[in-house]
Amino acid sequence: MLNRRDFLKLSALAAPGALSFSDVFAQTDAIQFGCPVPMSGPFAANGKYADMGMKLALQKYGKVLGKNLSYATLDTEGKPATAVRKVQETMEKGARFFAGGILSGEALAMGKEVEKGGGIFITTAGADEITGSDCNHATFRWSVPTFGAIEQTVRPLLEKMPNAKRWYTITPQYVFGDGLLSAAKAVFKEKGIEHVGNSYHSLAEKEFSGYLTNAMAAKPDVLLLLNFGSQSSDTLRQAVSFGMKNNMTILMAWASGLEQFETLGADICDGVYFGAQYWHAIDAPFNKELVQLVNSNLKIEPNYSLAGSYICTKIILDAIIKANSTDPKAVIAAMEGMKYEGLTGTEEIRKSDHQVIKNYYLLKGKAKSKMRNKDDYADIISFGKSFLAPDKTMCKMA
Amino acid sequence: MKYFVHFRFTLLAALVTLLLPLLVGSGSLATEVLIFALAALGCNLLLGYTGLLSFGQGIFFGIGSYTTGLALLRLQAPLLPSLLLAMLIGAAVALLVGWFAIRQRGTYFVMLTLAFAQMFYFLAYTMKDLTGGDNGLLDVPRPNLSLFGHTMLATTSPWQYYSFVAIVFVLVFWLLQRVVDSVLGRTLLAVRDNETRAAAVGYDITLLKLTAFVISGAVTGLAGGLHAMMTGVAPLSNIEYHTSEAILIMTVIGGTGNLFASVLGASFYVLIGNWLSTLWPRWLMLLGFLLIGVSLYLHKGLFGVAQALLRKFGVRPAADIADTTSVKEQHP
Amino acid sequence: MNIYLLQVANGIGIGMLYFLLAVGLSIVFGLLRFVNFAHGAFFLLGAYLCFQCGEMGLNFWWSLLLAPLLVGLFAWLVERFVLRHVYALPHHFHILFTVGLALVLQEAVIAFWGPLGNNISPPDLLQGVVMAGGFVYPIYRLFVIAVTAVMALLLWWVLEGTRLGAIVRAGSESTEMVSLLGLNINRIFSLVFALGAATAGLAGALAAPIRGVDPFMGVEALGIAFVVVVIGGLGSFSGALIGGILVGIVQSVMSTVWSEGAHLMIYIAMAAVMLLRPNGLLGRAS
Repeated sequence: MLNRRDFLKLSALAAPGALSFSDVFAQTDAIQFGCPVPMSGPFAANGKYADMGMKLALQKYGKVLGKNLSYATLDTEGKPATAVRKVQETMEKGARFFAGGILSGEALAMGKEVEKGGGIFITTAGADEITGSDCNHATFRWSVPTFGAIEQTVRPLLEKMPNAKRWYTITPQYVFGDGLLSAAKAVFKEKGIEHVGNSYHSLAEKEFSGYLTNAMAAKPDVLLLLNFGSQSSDTLRQAVSFGMKNNMTILMAWASGLEQFETLGADICDGVYFGAQYWHAIDAPFNKELVQLVNSNLKIEPNYSLAGSYICTKIILDAIIKANSTDPKAVIAAMEGMKYEGLTGTEEIRKSDHQVIKNYYLLKGKAKSKMRNKDDYADIISFGKSFLAPDKTMCKMA
Repeated sequence: MKYFVHFRFTLLAALVTLLLPLLVGSGSLATEVLIFALAALGCNLLLGYTGLLSFGQGIFFGIGSYTTGLALLRLQAPLLPSLLLAMLIGAAVALLVGWFAIRQRGTYFVMLTLAFAQMFYFLAYTMKDLTGGDNGLLDVPRPNLSLFGHTMLATTSPWQYYSFVAIVFVLVFWLLQRVVDSVLGRTLLAVRDNETRAAAVGYDITLLKLTAFVISGAVTGLAGGLHAMMTGVAPLSNIEYHTSEAILIMTVIGGTGNLFASVLGASFYVLIGNWLSTLWPRWLMLLGFLLIGVSLYLHKGLFGVAQALLRKFGVRPAADIADTTSVKEQHP
Repeated sequence: MNIYLLQVANGIGIGMLYFLLAVGLSIVFGLLRFVNFAHGAFFLLGAYLCFQCGEMGLNFWWSLLLAPLLVGLFAWLVERFVLRHVYALPHHFHILFTVGLALVLQEAVIAFWGPLGNNISPPDLLQGVVMAGGFVYPIYRLFVIAVTAVMALLLWWVLEGTRLGAIVRAGSESTEMVSLLGLNINRIFSLVFALGAATAGLAGALAAPIRGVDPFMGVEALGIAFVVVVIGGLGSFSGALIGGILVGIVQSVMSTVWSEGAHLMIYIAMAAVMLLRPNGLLGRAS
C-alpha cells in the first residue's frame, strides 16, 4: 500500500497544471509541433491516423537543425472553440508549428488563432475560404478545395460518359457543400448538363431514403454526392440498397479514401466513382517511399488522414531546413513558392494564397473478386490539377 | 470578522481566481475554467436552488456567444456593452424558453428543455446568415476595456484577458451569492423542496421559476459572450446539446445547493478533462463512471466530498446554506 | 406515382423502425417513471452486438436473434444490481445516472471496436429491390417493416392480453397498489426494463444494415426516441406507434418540400405538441 508521503508526492505530480504539457515539451530546446485533430467525437478515426502521420514524420526526421523534435496531440473534439483554446494554450507554451484541422470549422478558427500568435498552420480541411476569403499569412492548405475536386471528377466522368446528360445532386447544407454545388453547376452549365434536381440536407442527417426517393423520381443518369465522411457513406450505402447502382452512375466527389472503403466494403463500392485527395497506389516516387515506410512501421497501407498529416508535417520540416531557421516568418517565406516531391508527384505551394498545387484523383471502385489485396478497393481513372486563378480565390493577403 | 464568515464563499471564489494562475500554466485554460464556472453557476441556480434540471443551458451559452460576436463584429460595440447585450438577450431567451418549459414539471420539463435545445441548435444551423452556420462567427475581436477613450484594462494576452474575466467572475459570484442569500433565494429553495406547499402558502410559483430562469439565462449568456471573445469565434458547438450536457455534468459533479460547488465542478471538469484527454482519448468513460458514482453515492458532489473531508479533519464546516434541515434548526 | 405518395410510403417504413426504437422508452417511463437516457446506448449495443456476431461467423438471422437478447440480459443485470438503488432518489439522479451509463457504454464501444464505423450487409435473401409501379423499395426495408409490425402486434398482445401486461398497466397507474396485491414489483421492473432495452437493441440490429454501425448512433437514436415519445405520449404504446410513423412521414415528406429543414421540422413538431397537447397525442397526465 502507498504510504502517505508517496501518495502526497503522486498527488502533487497529478496536479493538472504540472502535467499539462511539460512532460511532452521536456526538452526546452526542441522544435515544438502541435497536432490539433479530433481525437474524440465523430471524427476521432481521422484524428487518430493524422496523429500517427505527424508522429511518423517527426520520428523519420529525428533532428532538424541540430534540434530535437517534439509534439503534442491536441484533441479538438471537432469543435472550433476547443481547437482554438488548445492552440492558444500550446502557443503559450512556445509551440509555433501546427499541422492538423480535419474539419473546416476548426481549421478556419485555428488558422486565425495561429496567425495571431505568429505561428504556422497547415491543414487538409476542404473549405474554400481557408485559402480564399479567410486566407492569412500563417495558414497553408495541402488538400484540393472544391473547385478542383469538381473539375477533376465531373469533367473526366463526362468525357467517359458523354451521354450522361441528367445529373442529380445531394448536398450538405453549409458553406462547403454550397462550394461544391456551385462549382458543379458551373460545369453543368458549360457542358449543357441538365441539373434535374438537388437535395439539401443537414449535417446531422443519417436517413437519406427521402432524398434518394426524390432523386429516383427525377430519373438522372448520374447521382452526384457532394457530402462527405459518414454522410456520404450513409447516402451511398442507402442508394445501393435502393438498387440505384443499376439505373445510374454514382459519383462521390469528395471521398475520404481508404478509411471510407474499409467502412463500406467492396460490394457497395464496386462500380462507384470516387474523388480522392490521395490514394496509396499513386505512382509517385515519394508516395512509394511513404507507403513503404508505413508498411514496415505500422503494417498498414497509408490512408488519407495519415498521409495528409505526414506530408503536412514534412512540408514544415523541409521549410525549416530550407530557411535554416525556426523563426516562423522565415519558414513562411521558405514555404511560399516551395516546390517539392510530394505524394501526388511534384507539388508546389502557391505564394498568393498558400495553396498547395497538387493532383486530385478520380477513382472507380472494383469488385471484390478483382481486388489484388485487401486494400485494393479502387483503380485510378484519371487525375490532374485544377485550381482557381489567384485573382478568383478572393484571397487578399495583407 | 462576521463579514468574512458571511462572505466566505465569495472570498473563496476570489481565492480560486488567484490560485488558478499558479496551478495552471495557460491563461486560456484558466479563463475557460472561470467561464464555465459562470455557466455552472447559472445551471446550479436552476437545479440546486429551484429544483429545475435544465438540458437547455447551451441555448443561453450559445446565444450569448452569438450576441457578443454579432455586437462586436456588426455593431463595433465596445467590450462592456457587448457583454451586457449578451446578458440581456440571454435573459430574454431564458424568459421565452422558461415560460414554455415550466408549464411542465419533473421529467416532462427536462424533456421540453431538451427539445428546445435541439430546436435552437437547428435554428442556429439554418440561419447561417446570422450565425455563420457550421463555420460559426469568425474573427470575433477582443477589445480592451476602455472608458471614454482611456484604456483601463488591456485584454490582448491570455493572462490579461484572464484578469478581466476574473474580475467579472468574482463580481457575478458575489451578486449571485446575494441573490441566493436573499429572500428570493430562500423562496426558491421552498419551491425546490415542495412546490405544492409553496404554492399553497401563496407564492407565485411561475414568477419565481421564471425569475430563476431569467437570472440563469443572463449569467449563462454572459459566460457565452466571454467565451466568444476568448476564442475569437462564436461556434455552432456552443449551442449544441453537448454543451448543455457538459454544463449540467459540471454542476452535478460540483454539487448542487451551494454556489461555490459549481466552481469546484467546473474546475474539475475543465482541468481534469484537459489533462486526461492528452492521456487517454476515452476519458469520457471515466466521466461517465463519475456521474454514476455521483448519482449513487456522492449526491453532494465534490463539495460534499470536501465537506466530509473537512469534517474528518475536525473542522466543522458552516451550515450548508441550501440545506433546508439546518434552516429549520435556525428557525424553530 | 406521385412523389408525395412515395415519400409517405417511405416515411412509414422509416417510422416503423422509429416506433420500435421508442416503444421501450415509453413503456419504461410508464412503469418506472423515469426517462432512461441510456436508451440510445441500448440501440447502439444492439447494433454492435449484431455486427460482432456477424464477425464471429454467425449468420444474420442468429445475430438478429442474439443481439437483442444479450442487450436485454445486460439491461436486466444493470437494473437488478445497480439501477434499483437509484429509484428512491429524486428523478435528477435517475437522469444523471443513465446519462453516465450512456457515456460509459459509448466509450466502451469505441474502446472495443474503434472509432471508425462499420458495415453489415443484409443477408442475400433480403438484398435487392421490389418494384411496384413507380415505387422502388429495398427488400430489406420491407423486412424491417414486417419485423417491426410483428413486434408491435406481439407487444400489444402482451400488454393487453396477458397477465403480465395487465400487471404492467396496473403498475403504471399505481406501483403501490400492485405490490399491495402481493406481486413482486421489483421483478416486474427488471423484466420491463430488460424488455425495453431489448426492443431498442432489436431496433439497432435491424437498423445496422441500413445505416451501418458507428459509435455515435446511440446519441442520435436517443434524440429520435425522445421526439417520438414526446409526440406520442410518454407511457403510451399506441402513442409510440403513431408518433414513430408521424415522425417518419414528416422527415420523408420534408426532404421533398424543404430538404434542409427536415430535422428542424421534427423538433418544431415536437415543441408544438408539447405546447398544445403537453402529454403527447395519446399520453395521459403524469
